[in-house]
Amino acid sequence: MRFNQLVFAYAMLFLIGCSKQQGDAPVAQSGEKPLTIGVSFETLQTEYWVAGFEAIKSELKKRNIQVLEATADQDASRQLQQIKNFITRKVDGIIMVPKDAKTCIPMIRAANEAKIPIALFNRPADKSDAKSVAVVADNTKLTQETVAYMIEQARKSGQKHKAMVILGDLGDINAIGRRDGFEAAVKGNEEIIEVVARVPSEWNQEKAQAGVVNALQANPDISFIFTSSDFLFPSIVSALKAANKYKKIGESGHVILGGFDGDATAYQMLVDGYLDATGVQDVYFEAEQSVQAVLDMRAGKEVPEMILDPGFVIHQGNLKEKAQRMWGANVKK
Amino acid sequence: MKPILEFRKIEKAFFGVRVLKGISFSVPEGSILGIVGENGAGKSTMMNILGGNLRADGGEILIGDERLVAADPRESERRGIAFIHQELNLFPNLSIAENLFLTRFPRAGGLPWIKRGELNRRAAELLKEVGLDVSPDRSVETLSAGERQLLEVAKALSFNARIIIFDEPTTSLTSREIEVLFALIAKLRARGMTMIYISHALQDVFRLCDDILVLRDGEVVAHDATETFSTDKLISLMVGRSLEQVFPGRAKTRSGEVLLEVRRLVRGEVIRDVSFSLRAGEVLGISGLMGAGRSELARAIFGLDRRSSGEVRIHGETVRKSSPRAMIRRGLAFLTENRRSEGLCMDGSIAENLTLAALPIYSKHASGWLSRENIRTAVQKMRGEVHLDAKARSEQPIRTLSGGNQQKVVLGKWLLRNPKILILDEPTRGVDVGAKAEIYRLISELAGQGMGILLISSEIEELIGLSDCIVVMRGGTIVDELARAEFDRERILRAALKAA
Amino acid sequence: MRANVLARNPLAGAFLSEYFVLLLTVILFVALAPFAVGLASSESALNIVAYLIPLFIAGTGLTIVLITGGIDLSIPAVIALTSVVGARLMTGESSVISVAVGVGAMLGVGAAIGAFNGVLITALRLPAFMVTLASMLFFNGFAVWFTQSSNIGDLPANYLALGKQLPIALTAAVVIGVVFHLLLSRTIFGRWIYALGQNAVAAHISGVPVQRLTFATYVLSGFCAAIASVILTGRLETGSPVLGREMLLDVVGATVLGGTSLFGGRGRIYWTFFGVLFLTVLDTALNLMNLSQFAVTMSKGAVILFAAVIDATRRRFVAFA
Repeated sequence: MRFNQLVFAYAMLFLIGCSKQQGDAPVAQSGEKPLTIGVSFETLQTEYWVAGFEAIKSELKKRNIQVLEATADQDASRQLQQIKNFITRKVDGIIMVPKDAKTCIPMIRAANEAKIPIALFNRPADKSDAKSVAVVADNTKLTQETVAYMIEQARKSGQKHKAMVILGDLGDINAIGRRDGFEAAVKGNEEIIEVVARVPSEWNQEKAQAGVVNALQANPDISFIFTSSDFLFPSIVSALKAANKYKKIGESGHVILGGFDGDATAYQMLVDGYLDATGVQDVYFEAEQSVQAVLDMRAGKEVPEMILDPGFVIHQGNLKEKAQRMWGANVKK
Repeated sequence: MKPILEFRKIEKAFFGVRVLKGISFSVPEGSILGIVGENGAGKSTMMNILGGNLRADGGEILIGDERLVAADPRESERRGIAFIHQELNLFPNLSIAENLFLTRFPRAGGLPWIKRGELNRRAAELLKEVGLDVSPDRSVETLSAGERQLLEVAKALSFNARIIIFDEPTTSLTSREIEVLFALIAKLRARGMTMIYISHALQDVFRLCDDILVLRDGEVVAHDATETFSTDKLISLMVGRSLEQVFPGRAKTRSGEVLLEVRRLVRGEVIRDVSFSLRAGEVLGISGLMGAGRSELARAIFGLDRRSSGEVRIHGETVRKSSPRAMIRRGLAFLTENRRSEGLCMDGSIAENLTLAALPIYSKHASGWLSRENIRTAVQKMRGEVHLDAKARSEQPIRTLSGGNQQKVVLGKWLLRNPKILILDEPTRGVDVGAKAEIYRLISELAGQGMGILLISSEIEELIGLSDCIVVMRGGTIVDELARAEFDRERILRAALKAA
Repeated sequence: MRANVLARNPLAGAFLSEYFVLLLTVILFVALAPFAVGLASSESALNIVAYLIPLFIAGTGLTIVLITGGIDLSIPAVIALTSVVGARLMTGESSVISVAVGVGAMLGVGAAIGAFNGVLITALRLPAFMVTLASMLFFNGFAVWFTQSSNIGDLPANYLALGKQLPIALTAAVVIGVVFHLLLSRTIFGRWIYALGQNAVAAHISGVPVQRLTFATYVLSGFCAAIASVILTGRLETGSPVLGREMLLDVVGATVLGGTSLFGGRGRIYWTFFGVLFLTVLDTALNLMNLSQFAVTMSKGAVILFAAVIDATRRRFVAFA
């Protein structure tokens, strides 16, 4: 009878579930075998993550380490599953971009239990008993520097500016950091900058575009825009073009533009003279630090819980000298 | 005059039942032939063969001098035959012009680009020809029934039809619209168009047609010039002599208590002031033409459609809130005329369909837990009672059964509920002769056991054979009532046909 | 005749049986095991089961809705909203009572959203697709607003056990699977559900309480999604307003892959289990193979399409038989 068969199947699974396996020792260390590191990204839907992914892979290749790839499609449950799969495969280390700061805690804990070192790339975890190393850009500081540069430009124009800021997904600590950096930079400069629109994007291009269009309609005289990520620039540019406000630096009616990340679009806009500044996360630095941190932990060295990537502001004044460290300049378009 | 259309010994059978028995006749060019006959006499089958929807089993059809070969609507259309159905073949969401040229839009060159201007110009010409004064842009759903009928004619003209078949064209038309249609028919005739006009409205047939053909049980019983017929003669020809059909003998038991009482029931325009009562052990037959309001009456009683006014009493108790669920609880059962769409779950098995209405009876638990044993016994018992095909397994999907066996399952489904009142709407439609006889036997037995049965049927034969009393409906109301002793086919047909 | 010939051959018999998707899963497993390192290990089996449980529980509720011919797109929103509501009630607490209150609230909210869908679908006679799409958007938005986009952590340890202790979640899944299977196969409710999906008009005429039944299926679906959320939230130790947002396609896909019809009238709880199992094994296997992520996604699509094509062919054969 089919029902009995089902009961049997469930029972089998149940038994497997109860008998926590006492398998082999966690990491078999034989000198010749190349190491394997699992890399799980929350998403690969933006150039930034692809660039980060590539940077980690080339860093690993340089050191003759094998890579296991996984992408969670923005689903924390799937990411947990992938991390567990890495553990099943007995990888020697894990580098991940977590979905968010909280859901990654059980994942880190699972790695801790299996004694596999784990590094978080670009996004930190919340405080907990789980041990990991996070390599992150100093979002607040870098944003503050970028916006400060923009305000300087605004001051030079000699007039007061109405400003719009495009916010990220506020469930993401990086987005919060950038928002805080923006607000900190604006604070005390109210005589030049009046923030009239705070557009939520939830890291979604369509939402950003709709928000920007609405804000421009409500405030046609906006002349200062900061976006929490460069990947939203295409949406912003198309909205500006529609309003006939997309002008080069120096032309009359130029809207002072600034961003964060340093992607290929931003690079092109810098070269073409439309973009004033963007805060560049040093992907190569972060990739190298993540891999190094995992290896150091394996070797039993003491590694700080957080490694900060200072990043740098790239603008019209330093474009030539800084371009080769800007990841967006190296992405093939 | 030279015939433009000729039927030669056309034969057709469905599931071994001969519905056309060697039909032969011819139609002279430019004349109008009226075809009359009872429901099921074979009129629609005949015209469906001509229109290419059905293939004849034998015989041939000549159009002009050439044989019509393929059973293919497009082939018939190409040969100049236009069939205007009872249910019109129009797309209500498209415009008039689009409906007219759906399969051959005027295009720009070879491109899939419709030339709107030419489309509308040509459509306007056609509309003018049929006297329809509306813009070709209008969507068909905004047209009245009469206007749609004219549009159908325009469509026929656009195909350069030589023969137009009208099948009951006036059923949903107002009297003014009928006049417009008749004027158009006269105009087309004057231009030499040949037409076939099928209708129950005898006065219209007399008025329009040059010749009349009477069809009965798949045979041509008369075909002559209109002047040679009178209304009385037509009706007696249509009805014919009583067929030797075996109806089980019924003891007269009209003395039972009143089970169902309907008082001044009204539902909009479809049911107007209907009253009758049904006693235990009685079979009450309801006769009438299609659209007379018979099924609508049954639906309103069963709580499927809302009543506008009037009351329904069961066991002398007035039913206020009526829904199928409430009615079933009070002992009603309703076998609808649409077996497939309303009676059965076609993907379900015989057992599942049989037990659907009676499920709560097999569960003593509040949880609704079913006793498989009880169900199996009940299914087995009911299969025997309705004489279901013994070879069929109870788990077999219902769709694999013949129409007759399917109908037995629907009947069995209701009988498992032990109803007091059984409403049967066309119980033998699409059912083979053997199953028919068994359904007749069941009806008779059930009445003998004291059930009250409301029998709706288009076959007068069936009603006379089974009923204790027959009421005739026309235009949503009862126009005649006959006790067993008064049963008379001609009187029933006359009451059903007579225009108000 | 063709079908008879096939039925005599045992392999062909399996091909035609309702265990076909299970058979496919086994074939997939055997075929990929040599390439997917560690797939054939107890650890990997545990991972598969852990990942499968919430999908299966949500799929169970969906199966019932699909059998009636409906659809429930609000499942992800139920998971997200119940996750944050439960987490908000439990965060920082540690008593058993607060866990009971939190879990009770989660199940209550799930059933309430189901009831909301059910009322709109039955009383206002709106199409289920539109209603549940709208409530998915609304309650997803509501969950984000409720938490202002932030995640809620610091959940009581005895609650986290619900998600982390596999036997507990497994027991829940088994109980739900068995109860719903019996409900569908052995009760009036179940028989009515199938009749409703096969022919709503005939069911109505036969005295089936169509409206009440439809309403109940959406409540059950919301309830099941809430149970899935209890387990997911516990496993991720976080009340998240975007929890389950990507789950809809997996749940619907697995359920339909199992054989439950999108057009109503056909479906079984264990079919859904097979569908979920297939999808999870495929996902895990591809994950364990050292493929680039783009290759994983594309092969996943290809394998699912392949399975669907084979299944459609198979059904045509069954229809012949």
